[in-house]
Amino acid sequence: MISMANCFQIISKGIVLFILLFFFNEMYAAEGGPCKDYGECDKFQYSLNDIESLQRGASTYINYCYGCHSLKYSRWGRVAKDLQIPEDIFFENLVFDKSIKPGDLMVGAMPEDSANWFGVEPPDLTLVSRYKGDDWIYSYLRAYYEDSSKQYGVNNLVYPGTAMPNVLMSLQGNQRLVCKDVPVLARNGGEKRDDFGNTIFKEKCGFLEVRDGTGILTREEFDTLIYDLTNFLVYVGEPSKATRERIGWYVVFYFLIFTALSSLLYREYHKDYNK
Amino acid sequence: MTEIAGKLFTWINTRLPIVNTFERHLSKHPVPSKVNFWYLFGALAAVTLIIQVVTGIWLIMPYSNTEEQAFSSIEYIMRDVDYGWVIRYMHTTGASLFFAVVYLHMFRGLLYGSYQKPKELVWIFGCTIYLAMMAEGFLGYVLPYGQMSYWGAQVIISLFGAIPYIGESLELWVRGDYYISGITVSRFFALHVVALPLVLIALVFLHLVALHEVGAGNPEGVDIEEHLDDDGVPLDSVPFFPYKVLNALVAIGVFMTVFSIIMFFFPEGGGYFIEMANFQEANPLVTPDHIAPVWYYAPFYTMLRAIPDPLGGLIVMASAVAIFFIVPWLDRSKVASIRYKGIYSKIAITMFGVSFLTLGYLGTVGVTEVRKTMSVICTIIYFAYFLLMPIYTKYETTKEVPERL
Repeated sequence: MISMANCFQIISKGIVLFILLFFFNEMYAAEGGPCKDYGECDKFQYSLNDIESLQRGASTYINYCYGCHSLKYSRWGRVAKDLQIPEDIFFENLVFDKSIKPGDLMVGAMPEDSANWFGVEPPDLTLVSRYKGDDWIYSYLRAYYEDSSKQYGVNNLVYPGTAMPNVLMSLQGNQRLVCKDVPVLARNGGEKRDDFGNTIFKEKCGFLEVRDGTGILTREEFDTLIYDLTNFLVYVGEPSKATRERIGWYVVFYFLIFTALSSLLYREYHKDYNK
Repeated sequence: MTEIAGKLFTWINTRLPIVNTFERHLSKHPVPSKVNFWYLFGALAAVTLIIQVVTGIWLIMPYSNTEEQAFSSIEYIMRDVDYGWVIRYMHTTGASLFFAVVYLHMFRGLLYGSYQKPKELVWIFGCTIYLAMMAEGFLGYVLPYGQMSYWGAQVIISLFGAIPYIGESLELWVRGDYYISGITVSRFFALHVVALPLVLIALVFLHLVALHEVGAGNPEGVDIEEHLDDDGVPLDSVPFFPYKVLNALVAIGVFMTVFSIIMFFFPEGGGYFIEMANFQEANPLVTPDHIAPVWYYAPFYTMLRAIPDPLGGLIVMASAVAIFFIVPWLDRSKVASIRYKGIYSKIAITMFGVSFLTLGYLGTVGVTEVRKTMSVICTIIYFAYFLLMPIYTKYETTKEVPERL
């Protein structure tokens, strides 16, 4: 006969199993990612110690983005200092308004009525890497494609309907969506073949491709440019990030030693009453 | 020189019971000789409280509690104040870890019956501390005035509106305005930095005084007061100093290692400690795609969402916290510790733990049909743990508790 306790146990095991199944299901639940039509965002690994990359990123930002997008929580002098650019060279080459002083905030150059130009006011991007994520920026800037139905003739896979024109088009070239014949995958993950052993192809659309000869940069060069730009935005989102990760090791090391010493001391005293 | 100092000390000590209090509550205070790691979270909660108070004081200095400057003053702290980011991240990490250790501390209480006679008041003061912490955490979250601060506050304050008759006026009274504004921020600031910390510290004081009156518990549920030595000190006890202090010191070492790994390498805690949307300034015109509370409120937020009716949701959510207060009278067991309780109690507490964690997960993700069903199931299990407690603790067979530790 099943006792009450057994019954109770069986029911609770059932519920726990049900919850486990739920979590298993959750792991495979398809939830729209932040990169929308692009699919999975491309992974971005920042390197804040690569000063040259940050310098190139800053230069790209100021030349191509700063006209519309301010960095209003960041200061000119701080960027020059952190990016190890001598102040005179920095101000000579990257600061176009000569009345700006190193302590000034990078408040941008847009007039008040800028919202009329694009339908929305270009947002401040100081913290964009923190609220959108670096993966998102890196994917977004590379996901523009030609779309004549849009105001500026371009659309974006990561941010469909974006109000921003593709400012870097002259560098990247004209990117468009194309269809390609791709091998059909079998259930086991391999390519599916017909009875004669030939791979079966199927047309699939939504691939990004740059028209040959339309851009100044090659695909690799353009990706590097966007890498540097994203890297700079990660830096500007949290200028103390590199310092934080550097001194973090010392602090963790200190507390590990602290733990080791205190546990030795504890053990010594523990002998008194735990014979 | 030492002579003068000695005399001065005696002069003070005859007028203020320094030595006596110190010996009674710290150096010679007897604590059970055998406890496990579960008994260390109280000390860690105290450490975190101190971290929060100290870093909080330093954050007040550069912070600006106006609508125009609240958000930018946080960025000012992060960028222009020397090591401002250290202080700020200590405070944000501290907030999450405060809740983490308090949740573990509370779970310890449920595991080992730390609320049973005569510790009812210790438990009730503890529950009140938790309630005050929830309010303190919420108020603090509004201060950076990011998108999640704004919309989180919007959701929570609108809960008051669900109360019949007085709801709407109450909502207005809490907010101080027809919508969340600088007025809300500055009153929340006052409450966050003065009112609630005072309440919290007073409650912690009462929690400790009550605890020292009845004595700390142990995982065996043995009453150590039953066997005293000739001086009236329990045989199964050790003095607080150096034994308990050293034990706590090891725990503090481990805790601070974890603390610094989080604050230096993962300060956003994957979006759970500082939510990504909160890096955008509050914008009353744009609702974020997905409003989620910080992880430590998530279980209760799920319960709120599980009930379609706003007032019903509010009642369920409030009862979920309030029910902790009556636990000392729900538990009818002869024994305190889970080690000697019967199979029902063991199953019940496991189910409770599982459902609480699941509710927490559900609070941080969007709603689907399956998740909604899951929320209801877990809410039922959560309440069943408490409401059925008088039955299963009374009718189960318990094991014999030993005489000594």
